[in-house]
Amino acid sequence: MSADTDPGALGRLGSRLWFYSNYHCNLQCSYCLTESAPGVARRQLTADQIRDAARDGRELGFDSFGITGGEPFLHDELIEIVADLAAQAPTLILSNATVFTPARLRRMEAWAGLPVEIQISLDHPEPDVNDEMRGPGNFRKVVEAIPRLIDLGIGVRIATTLEDPENADPDEMDRLCALHRSLGVPDSHHVVRPIIHRGRAVGNTLGRDVVFDDFEPELTLTADGAFATPFGPTVRGGRLDTDLLVTRATAPLSVPVAALMRAAGEAPAGDDARTGIR
Amino acid sequence: MSSIVAPVAPDQAPLLARPYYANGAPGPIAGTMAHVPELLDVAMPFIGAALGPGAVSARLKEIAVLRASALLECDYCVRSHTVVALDEGLVHAEVRALRDSGPAEDAFTVDRERALVAWVDELATGRGAVDPVVEARMAEHFAAAEIVELTLVTTTTMMLNRYCTALGLPVSATVAERLSAEGLA
Ligand code: SF4
Repeated sequence: MSADTDPGALGRLGSRLWFYSNYHCNLQCSYCLTESAPGVARRQLTADQIRDAARDGRELGFDSFGITGGEPFLHDELIEIVADLAAQAPTLILSNATVFTPARLRRMEAWAGLPVEIQISLDHPEPDVNDEMRGPGNFRKVVEAIPRLIDLGIGVRIATTLEDPENADPDEMDRLCALHRSLGVPDSHHVVRPIIHRGRAVGNTLGRDVVFDDFEPELTLTADGAFATPFGPTVRGGRLDTDLLVTRATAPLSVPVAALMRAAGEAPAGDDARTGIR
Repeated sequence: MSSIVAPVAPDQAPLLARPYYANGAPGPIAGTMAHVPELLDVAMPFIGAALGPGAVSARLKEIAVLRASALLECDYCVRSHTVVALDEGLVHAEVRALRDSGPAEDAFTVDRERALVAWVDELATGRGAVDPVVEARMAEHFAAAEIVELTLVTTTTMMLNRYCTALGLPVSATVAERLSAEGLA
């Protein structure tokens, strides 16, 4: 097997290749890492950029893909892009699950049989409390969307983002878990993670500080360059953070891969258990 | 002059740029190149190797750097390298002659330094092939490796001259104070 196709060739890098498909969003959550909102600059990756990088990524040893934003489903070509990516490797999309119109769900039928999962944010079992952070009507849309996605054969994961996960109210967590189970999402597909003190969370004095070593290095491509983790390309005060920028060049993919491997090699082993941010 | 690009602040230093921020904010060349970390990563070691200590003496290198910077009218490099040139033992008359856009050779008495000044003048102001007379003088006083090193010093400086001028990089307060004290502001 040549070095180009050896999964071990990625060294300490995570084997999932991430894409920020776009930065805009229909919501405006109080802890949003990217200060996403309806009116912000879209900064989209084109379908060709994503496809080319995915193809190169497979050759370099990446075994799965992730798409995040912003709200990825606002990217006009997202459904076609995911079909292409998932034909090559399992693909995870991070979504707020509030934009699954009947028309969009019909288009997603094209994913039948493909290894696609959607990770949906749901923070609290009570609609009012959940919607305080994420906006009015969020809870209702999410609980309506999950069974529809499962009916389409799409894997659903739930991500709960909390200010202080270690000290979460056990009763609330029990009710949240009962809720996701009732919607068809097993415990193995529920992740609880802390708010990260970046992006809009800074202005709202939320979250915990993190540094490079807190993350498993996972190459993340954006319209502004390649970052060391999907938690890297954050936006504060309208300005992109560059402290976790790897390279401005994203193609050929070997350039950011080599740079991130060097940066990761020079740092002590990551400890994502500390923040539980996977 | 205002700068079109602000240097990357220390708390925003990209991963590959962090070594350059180990002691706080670097100079404005590294600080602006940090916007494109993969270029900083190769450019700064190259610039350091070309302009830093080498087989050719620091005095010769500073003659080349200061002269090229003056002819390309790079305020940042002229002022910064006036300080370096003085530290390398160039006297005020030599520095003034190199900084003046007129002929500078007469400020130097050593033949190989005069040949170098003519070589740099040719590189910085000429177009196309180098004047054969200037070339012959250079070949008479320098070995092949020295010619290569001094030519790289000069042309790397010219690249930096345009970079610093285009981006309007400001000299540090320390440099400005030293130049005032020396009467070379
Ligand atoms: S956290 Fe997610 S859903 Fe909320 S505004 Fe940001 S991108 Fe949109």
